Amino acid sequence: LTDLLDLATAIVERATSGEDIEAYVTHERTFQVKAYSSEVESLASAEPRGAGARLIRDHRAGFAYTTDLTDSGLNAVVDRARDNSRHATSDEATSVAPAWSEEPPEISGLVDRSQSDVPADDKVAFVLELERATRAQDPRIRAVEEAVYSDSEAEVAIATSSGVAGSYRRTDAWCYALAIATEGDDTQIGFEFDLARGLAALDADDVARRSAHRALEILGASKIPSGRMSVVFEPYVSAQFLGVLGSALTGEAVQKGRSLFAGKVGTRVAGDGVHLVDDGRLEGAPGSAPWDGEGVPTSRTGVISNGVLDSFLYDTTSARREGRDSTGNASRASFKGVPHPSPTNLALAGTGESPDQIYEQAGKALLVQDFHGVHSGANAVSGDFSVGATGRLLQNGELGAAVKEVTIAAPMLEILKGIQAVGSDLRWLPFGGSFGGATTLIAEMTVAGL
Amino acid sequence: MLQEEVVGQVLAEALGRGGDLAEIFAEERSSTGLRLDDRRVEDVASGRETGAGIRVISGDRSSYAYTNLLTADALVEAARAARSGLDGPAGVVASDLRRTQGPSHPVRIPPQEVGAADKASVLVEADDAARAEGGSVRQVSASYSDLRQKVLIASSDGRIAHDDRTRVRFAVQVVALRNGEIATGFEAPGHSGGFELLAPGDPARLGASAARKALTMLDARPSPAGEFPVVLAPGSGGVLIHEACGHGLEADTLVKEASVYANRRDERFGSESVTIVDDGSDVGAWGSFGVDDEGTPAQRTVLFDRGVLVGHMSDLQSARKIGYPPTGNGRRQSYAHLPIVRMTNTYLLPGQDDPVAIFESVPRGVYAATFAGGEVNPATGNFVFGMSEAYMIEDGAVTYPIKGANLIGNGPRVLEVIDAVGSDFGRKEGVCGKDGQAAPVTNGMPTVLLGRVTVGGTEA
Repeated sequence: LTDLLDLATAIVERATSGEDIEAYVTHERTFQVKAYSSEVESLASAEPRGAGARLIRDHRAGFAYTTDLTDSGLNAVVDRARDNSRHATSDEATSVAPAWSEEPPEISGLVDRSQSDVPADDKVAFVLELERATRAQDPRIRAVEEAVYSDSEAEVAIATSSGVAGSYRRTDAWCYALAIATEGDDTQIGFEFDLARGLAALDADDVARRSAHRALEILGASKIPSGRMSVVFEPYVSAQFLGVLGSALTGEAVQKGRSLFAGKVGTRVAGDGVHLVDDGRLEGAPGSAPWDGEGVPTSRTGVISNGVLDSFLYDTTSARREGRDSTGNASRASFKGVPHPSPTNLALAGTGESPDQIYEQAGKALLVQDFHGVHSGANAVSGDFSVGATGRLLQNGELGAAVKEVTIAAPMLEILKGIQAVGSDLRWLPFGGSFGGATTLIAEMTVAGL
Repeated sequence: MLQEEVVGQVLAEALGRGGDLAEIFAEERSSTGLRLDDRRVEDVASGRETGAGIRVISGDRSSYAYTNLLTADALVEAARAARSGLDGPAGVVASDLRRTQGPSHPVRIPPQEVGAADKASVLVEADDAARAEGGSVRQVSASYSDLRQKVLIASSDGRIAHDDRTRVRFAVQVVALRNGEIATGFEAPGHSGGFELLAPGDPARLGASAARKALTMLDARPSPAGEFPVVLAPGSGGVLIHEACGHGLEADTLVKEASVYANRRDERFGSESVTIVDDGSDVGAWGSFGVDDEGTPAQRTVLFDRGVLVGHMSDLQSARKIGYPPTGNGRRQSYAHLPIVRMTNTYLLPGQDDPVAIFESVPRGVYAATFAGGEVNPATGNFVFGMSEAYMIEDGAVTYPIKGANLIGNGPRVLEVIDAVGSDFGRKEGVCGKDGQAAPVTNGMPTVLLGRVTVGGTEA
């Protein structure tokens, strides 16, 4: 296969004078195996590759992508991007990334070098063990609906007519189990996963234990009476909350009137001691990369500092609209998509307490272990937040009855202002981005049940 | 796309080390998309993709490999990857291929014959009409997308099918702002067909409608929380059936007994007025096709007949395990994915009740006009749905809009509390996600009364 950066450069060279162009080319090797009931249910392997070209002419951007990486395929993708550009509205802010003043430093730990030598048999054995171990946790674990191991080795290259040219590699491996627990008439599902750069760092026993535990501990759950009460988010849940918040924290969302944070820079949006940081260079976090989806070097951005909204997250276009620099937050789902800003690794800074200390501090509260219906019940434009929840009652630090079929609701700004503690148990969750979850105490929300 | 000799050669290679069935799924896909946001047409994009996936089934195990190249060499290589791990004697590939065929969905104006300028202008028409609804309209985004997907599916048991699918979708979202209150409105029709989806005047009508929804919701008061009668609007309420009943009747979850409906065929779940079907053959509907992604013709499957559970949806693998013929519900997002059991167009069929009388029967309740989406746990049947447009009903009349309302409950129980089924009907198009794969689906239903169900809101 031709070198990926050469392909990206070959696309850039097809632009003519008066045109700016950006080429984004990826090549992956993926593998996935699923186990069910002690057997391999499916195995899938693939090697997808493709290129996306964004061409800007007269401040109009057009995009096209292709899986045909022959000379004629590259000609066609540039021609189609050029055709498409004629139908976009002229926009002075539209631009490719500026040239690098120096090569962005590498991020260490993006590649597990041993991963490419792991035989498929080891991956199959891993997922069979994950499935077996999950079932073996407790007699009430009736089955494991799915046990999955998946990995990817990817190379990404970018080149622009402004002079950006680079490529990097990353490996990813992840696994999850869905445990089904049954007792009497009640059935509950527990989902847990692990995520690392390679198979060697995945812990099947831990995922088995946690997924079974999640299903088991909400068996026999019931509704509780409606009312206002303190709420504690588990890490898994606080990361989902940050996922919703993150979509409102981009410069683009604010400029386009689609953010509850519009007009709030410099104002208090959370309590003292609350810090929210986006860091695209954080070692060990899943969303890290040397440069973003446009080739801009990634960086660390303080979004909320001591409760005050400091900055939004920008790609090149949204930054130019405000006469500032990109924060390196352009993201693209694959070679098939155009870049748009989104968080890289977004997390609340811990306030020092352990989860147990937070449970105690919460007094009488609802410990939320899972949200349901977040994508429909949370609105990052209006700030409305009303979602289904399962979890446990908390009383003076002790875990009590399991709770299901309740909804919890509060305006998102009230939730932020109600944050009283962020635990030391930070965990990264890949919910359409990379979000750091930690046990988080919220002063008060409306719980609707009976 | 592929010569039939190549198909035979690849299938023979795939079964070269044994296995019960080999299958090739090849596709050519071209798409265009345009987005208008903040008064600018941007993200004008088009894509071309080709690829083929090869599956080898051996007992309960499926192996899959795919390639972007449709050359004989690349396909043979993928076939070898798909058979890896097998070491039995070569399986037999049927020498005669029988053509299977399903319903066709007419395309009157092929999108590839419509210029990008015309596609951009429908966005501008919707934007202008939305903004004309009033100064509180703060932002409008609109998108247009079309897709043409030509597929060939052939399997070693001698079936071959071609399908040529064209889909068009148009969406408009409006954000309104007044006195610090923000509200949104949304319209997003789509169909299996061509650019005729958007007749002259339609983009403006949809833009204005989304704007009026947003403006109405500016005056919304916080939703009450507690148990109430809920009236579901035609169309949008269908998502409840999709989530609460449909997912649990996908045979993959039934086979694994991971469904609340497992082993409950012939049980009564609702009244005589509750009949629910899944119909991939509904001509021109967004979730329709000719054959599914395993070559099984699209069909209408009755899931609940007058309240009684009578059917399920299956693909080839789950049909074999459950012991019934496949229902044409094996779908995949693209050649890069294994087929899985998916819904198509899922409808609660119209009943006998007068929609007006349904409202008049409610002393105090909630009218769920539009759902923003929902989520269900198939094993437990528990669901949550957010309402993006909802109203209070007082003394039989719709009185004021409410915000932050959602519906929480349990699938089988919700069928039990369907107290009235209207004689009207509506459809809403959507995209359903399962196992990381997206599929176009339609939800349909008439006006429906749920006697008593939990509404979550901010007013305790």
